[in-house]
Amino acid sequence: MQYAWEEEKLGKAYDAGLMKRLLRYVKPYRGLFIAAIVLSLLVTGTELALPYITKIVIDRHLLSASSYEQAIRGAGQFALLFLGMLLVRLLFSFIQVYVLQYTGQRVMYDMRTEIFSHLMKLPVRFFDKNPVGRLVTRATNDVAAINEMFSAVLVYLFKDAFLIVGIFAIMFQLNWRLAGLILLLTPLLIWIAFEFRKRARDAFREVRRKLAKLNAYLAESISGMRIIQLFVREQSSFREFSQINDEEYQANMQQITIFAVFQPLIGLLRAVATALILWYGGFGVVGGVFTLGSLVAFVSYIEMLFQPISDLAEKYNILQGAMASSERIFLLLDEPEERYLGKRLLSVKGRIEFRDVWFAYVPQPQSDADWILKGVSFTVESGERVAIVGPTGSGKTTIISLLLRLYEIQKGQILLDGVEIQELDLKSLRSQMAVVLQDVFLFSGDVLGNIRLQSEKIPTERAIEAARFVQADAFIQELPDRYQTEVKERGATLSVGQRQLLAFARAVAFNPKILILDEATANIDSKTEHLIQGSIGRMLEDRTSLVIAHRLSTIRHSDKIIVLHRGRIVEEGTHEQLLAKKGLYHALYSLQFGETGRSTLEHVRQAQTQLEFLEEEL
Amino acid sequence: MRSMFRYLWRYRGRVLLGLFALLLVDGGQLIIPQIIRSAVDELTQGQSQRLLFFGIAVVVIAALVAFFRFFWRYFLFGAARRVRRDIRDRLYDHMLKLSARFFQDTKTGELMSHFTNDVDAVTMAVGFGVLAFADFLIMVTFCVGAMISISPLLTLYAFAPLPILTLLVALFGRVIHRRFQAVQETFSTLTEKVREALSGVRVVKTFTQEEGMARDFARTNQLFIDKNMHLVKVWGLFDPMIAFMSGISSLIVLYFGGRAVITGSISLGQFVAFNVYLGLLTWPMMALGWTVNMVQRGRASMERIDKILETLPDVTDHPNAKPFNGQGFIEFRDLTFSYDGGPPVLENINVTIAPGQTLGIIGLTGSGKTTLVHLLVRVFDPPRGSLLIDGRDVREYSLDDLRHQIALVPQDGFLFSTTVRENIAFGNPHVSWESIVEVSRLAGLHDEILDLPQGFDTLLGERGVSLSGGQRQRVAIARALLTNPRILILDDALSAVDAEKEEEILRNLKDVLRSRTSIVIAHRISAVKELDHIIVLDRGRIVERGTHEELVGQDGIYAHLYQLQKAEEEVRI
Repeated sequence: MQYAWEEEKLGKAYDAGLMKRLLRYVKPYRGLFIAAIVLSLLVTGTELALPYITKIVIDRHLLSASSYEQAIRGAGQFALLFLGMLLVRLLFSFIQVYVLQYTGQRVMYDMRTEIFSHLMKLPVRFFDKNPVGRLVTRATNDVAAINEMFSAVLVYLFKDAFLIVGIFAIMFQLNWRLAGLILLLTPLLIWIAFEFRKRARDAFREVRRKLAKLNAYLAESISGMRIIQLFVREQSSFREFSQINDEEYQANMQQITIFAVFQPLIGLLRAVATALILWYGGFGVVGGVFTLGSLVAFVSYIEMLFQPISDLAEKYNILQGAMASSERIFLLLDEPEERYLGKRLLSVKGRIEFRDVWFAYVPQPQSDADWILKGVSFTVESGERVAIVGPTGSGKTTIISLLLRLYEIQKGQILLDGVEIQELDLKSLRSQMAVVLQDVFLFSGDVLGNIRLQSEKIPTERAIEAARFVQADAFIQELPDRYQTEVKERGATLSVGQRQLLAFARAVAFNPKILILDEATANIDSKTEHLIQGSIGRMLEDRTSLVIAHRLSTIRHSDKIIVLHRGRIVEEGTHEQLLAKKGLYHALYSLQFGETGRSTLEHVRQAQTQLEFLEEEL
Repeated sequence: MRSMFRYLWRYRGRVLLGLFALLLVDGGQLIIPQIIRSAVDELTQGQSQRLLFFGIAVVVIAALVAFFRFFWRYFLFGAARRVRRDIRDRLYDHMLKLSARFFQDTKTGELMSHFTNDVDAVTMAVGFGVLAFADFLIMVTFCVGAMISISPLLTLYAFAPLPILTLLVALFGRVIHRRFQAVQETFSTLTEKVREALSGVRVVKTFTQEEGMARDFARTNQLFIDKNMHLVKVWGLFDPMIAFMSGISSLIVLYFGGRAVITGSISLGQFVAFNVYLGLLTWPMMALGWTVNMVQRGRASMERIDKILETLPDVTDHPNAKPFNGQGFIEFRDLTFSYDGGPPVLENINVTIAPGQTLGIIGLTGSGKTTLVHLLVRVFDPPRGSLLIDGRDVREYSLDDLRHQIALVPQDGFLFSTTVRENIAFGNPHVSWESIVEVSRLAGLHDEILDLPQGFDTLLGERGVSLSGGQRQRVAIARALLTNPRILILDDALSAVDAEKEEEILRNLKDVLRSRTSIVIAHRISAVKELDHIIVLDRGRIVERGTHEELVGQDGIYAHLYQLQKAEEEVRI
């Protein structure tokens, strides 16, 4: 079978523009970063010194003709120096790792917080087209990839460079001819390393691709297990899995083979260098231009020289991954945020007006079907309660979203106290309103936190007061830890009614001028239903309110009812006026609240004629 | 522990080859210090005639070492990868046999983690573990032998810190692992915070909590950093500590070995060789510490894997299962069913469906409709004697046979990320092109498929085209039709299709339904009203039964639903 998995894109390992932007995050911690570099240089210094000490001991004390006592004392002194160096190295390398990790973590902290804050400020439209899972990866795994670059590559570039330069400096100082000879081997070494890097990178990508394919296949099979079993496709599914599994294995073997060729080759080259030292250096010793101690030191330095070069390929991979991640992160950070700034409202009366509002979720609406609202106009006077009714898909919820400016409208005006909401400061606009939606979203954390959310302006007492006001207090008191009870799995342990009450408490705690309510249609037990009815009444008192109503009592007590159908307002008036009209409202009303019986049909027929007439008119 | 290495047994040949190569490599590595020793000793005495020989010897041995090193890497690591492949295959094969209950109780993420993390942990233990342990044994035997031959006393001194090294690694490894786990857990919390905030972004915005959420996130973020730094405190000390311990060994050799050279009890060449041996030992001693942890983790993972492999499917073939080749006469005989001793989901169900008949089932969500048909295909097993096909208990039929002959189209219309054609041909991959076209016509899907970018070859799924809910359901119907089953069940399989389309498709399917035993579960009365027999399920019981006309006259749930739907239909225009 052919499958369509996402293939990972990997670009350049180094992009100056991206790197420059990345380094901006390091800037606040440049002191620490430089300290980490300096410390790593000091550690490298001690590493370079250790073989040199051995050389001195050999040349001065083990081979010199000085007296026995003197030799022992000398060796002892150098042993102490050696110990000192070891201690210094132990201390400095720990501090270095600590400082470096600390810096990396701070940088990550800043980046994550920035990404998160930015995400929170992006328009809702952005979230409509970007799946949550992918966005989460930006703030988590992509940032981690960059951290790896900071902590495992950047500082070590300096360290490695210093180590290589240091080793050659010492070797040249000991014997420039031999050092020169070894330097001649370096191009070969670098050539091998780069050849390896290229192959290892391809093999690595292949392994990643195959593993991704395997995981995707597995995840899909697990979710589709019922279908596989019902269609008795177990055997062919196993064959497919086994084949993908084998492909992954082959890719792994490819990678193992490349490493199995390269690592021994590096070892061989090292042996060649050692042989050169023995042969050429040995003649030097006999000829008197070279000491035995230097020869031994040379052997040790060669060991040290090869390590950073062997690590080159891995560092390259990390760098490449980090570049790809940072590109994705910056792309996200460059997404424009919502327009937050604007006129601040000082005192709000709460008069809402929609003037010929046209809206479509698609940016360039083409057909008539794309328009969700088509020329909607209505007003809600300050302190009024207005109910919106209409069949599913008529645009009720859209009106709420637009009032909150979650989306910008295409045509027309929405005014709050006579000011266009587009000109208002977004926070000042939204803080005038509180919304209770049908599907109550609860956050992890305790009950109290779900009432006041993250607001610092709402003290505990006020949150509890709000809960009492909407009669949620009673059930909260019965929870194991009352207001501190953890809400698990998005409130799955609470009933629909309890969640509604919590959402009411949340709305009341924020004490808005305007309350927007999308009544729940779900079945709620009669006791809670009674509570909810009472709470709705209390909440809506003395407030401008806009209610998507499903309950008769809510509708009856409204000052005005707007009947929405396919994005247009088809009827408007009080309950009595609309019933008298015998139109769509009357039909909906009888359907939902009238006694089930054959009489419904008559109303419906009437409504139908009414609507046909309306459609013609429009 | 045996259980983990049993997978390696199949590859014992490769493992032995790898170990033999390792032995040669280690041996070769140990000869080089001897050469250096001889060279240095001769140099001390001012001789230089054998220098070229020594140089060439070093290169030749190194070349051999490189050659064999390739083989040990290839064979040992390769065997571990084979083991990984085998365990994965075995797990998958076993999973395919497990019953619905297992998948209900086990989260997908958890299962995935068995396939990835646990299998990897076992791979590491059998690959790296075997290597490190063998390497340790060989190196310690050879090196220590060579070192003792130089100076037993010096060996004793030099070795003092090495066991401490192994212990430190094992100890540190455990602490590091623990703290690393804490980091991973916090990372999950962090991920969950972001996911939650993004899912609830509309609530966040309407209550203007953007900054508050950022503050809250910053706290978790800080916690994550704290956990990381907690880890760094140990982990950052690890490498320097190792370097320090091996440095101490070098120091001991430098001082005591130096003294021995001065007193003349060992030669300078032996001193140098001794140093090199010590250097060669550091890695195996360290690796032994790692191995301890790795094998522990591997064993824990193996236990988790074995737990799944030991899980038995609860729906299995009867010891002498019968083939299914009758007409498909279904009989529910006073069937009462509950999940795991819970309250009954179905109670006293009595209904028969003869071949050529279609049963309609109407009921609200949670009334037990889906459970009823799941019992037919033995997603769960019904109580003995309560569900019969052609007079025989469904439990007595061969599972594969039963499922071959019964096609159930579920509501969610699960499709695979492959082409439309392959999805339709899923149950019967070798079917002719004409039949694929025909069933897609029957499912009212053909023209819509041709409108897709690559027609029947259009890829579906995350990276391909995503079909609408209604289209997915119709692909699922076409998929079921293609298997030409004796019993066809549509479990609310057209719920996402609009009413007109639903009626059209059901009209198309009329002959298909007539030519076998069929069950149609629906929400809409219009989907069942023309069927021979309709039952209404409410809370697990059949509360009404009859033809459409009879039911409409009864003034019960059916009639009520009928009025409501008719009215809605008309309002919608």
